Amino acid sequence: MDQRSAFEAQLSPILNGAYGLARSLTGNPADGEDLLQEAALRAFRGFDSFQAGTNFKAWFYKILIHAHYETHRRAGRRPATVELESVPALYLYSRSSEAGLYELTEDPAKLVLSKLTTEQVQAAFDELPEEYGAVARLYFGDELEYQEIAELLGCPVGTVRSRLHRGRKMLQKLLWSLAESTGVLARAAPGVAG
Amino acid sequence: MRPPDRFTCEDMFRRLDDFLDRSLSPEEEARIQEHLELCESCAREYQFEESLLSGLRRKLRSTEAPEGLKQRISSLLERTEKKG
Repeated sequence: MDQRSAFEAQLSPILNGAYGLARSLTGNPADGEDLLQEAALRAFRGFDSFQAGTNFKAWFYKILIHAHYETHRRAGRRPATVELESVPALYLYSRSSEAGLYELTEDPAKLVLSKLTTEQVQAAFDELPEEYGAVARLYFGDELEYQEIAELLGCPVGTVRSRLHRGRKMLQKLLWSLAESTGVLARAAPGVAG
Repeated sequence: MRPPDRFTCEDMFRRLDDFLDRSLSPEEEARIQEHLELCESCAREYQFEESLLSGLRRKLRSTEAPEGLKQRISSLLERTEKKG
């Protein structure tokens, strides 16, 4: 197997996850694609330094994150679309209760998510400020532990914990807004959602 | 059912994320499990958050890179390889 085929064989199984992370870092699909292509190019050029048998995904994600910080951050941080201070804890639970979703189902979280497409959920992650979005994407999407996320992002475990906590609150507000805007709640619970 | 202790509910509330993320000590986990068995309100909140966590993970597992991106990357690498 030549060098390029060997590299692509490693990249292919992690491409979807890497794309999700790239979107969370840049905040939109188009820039996410550009970042992923840039990261793939850098990783391919440095593939000799990858030690076979070690964790390719972690190696590649580090390159992707570094590429983002080096190139896309020059354009400036994107503004937060959610005011964190205005998001109470358990936001989605509270809103679901108020909207009467417990009268329809024992599992309102499942009901709300069942009405949203994967693309809509990913778009909600895209809207998180990058420091929260990256942590949340790695935690929810790749199911990494705090320690693994800290190593990838080069920050303390405590920072990962606090960013994830804040990111969750923002995400819950975004998901609720999304569910409301698509009208799925009104259809699920006529007369009580809104 | 024993009425829930407000302080313990507050304690549960502050540790909910860490409990969901399995990042508490075994002793703290045991205390929270005990509280959840006694407090219907906290148990309902926990079940909601747990369902949300697993549902989001299921959704994100099915995120797919756009059609053609893999091919574009492949072409990019091929051109890079040819340039040496």
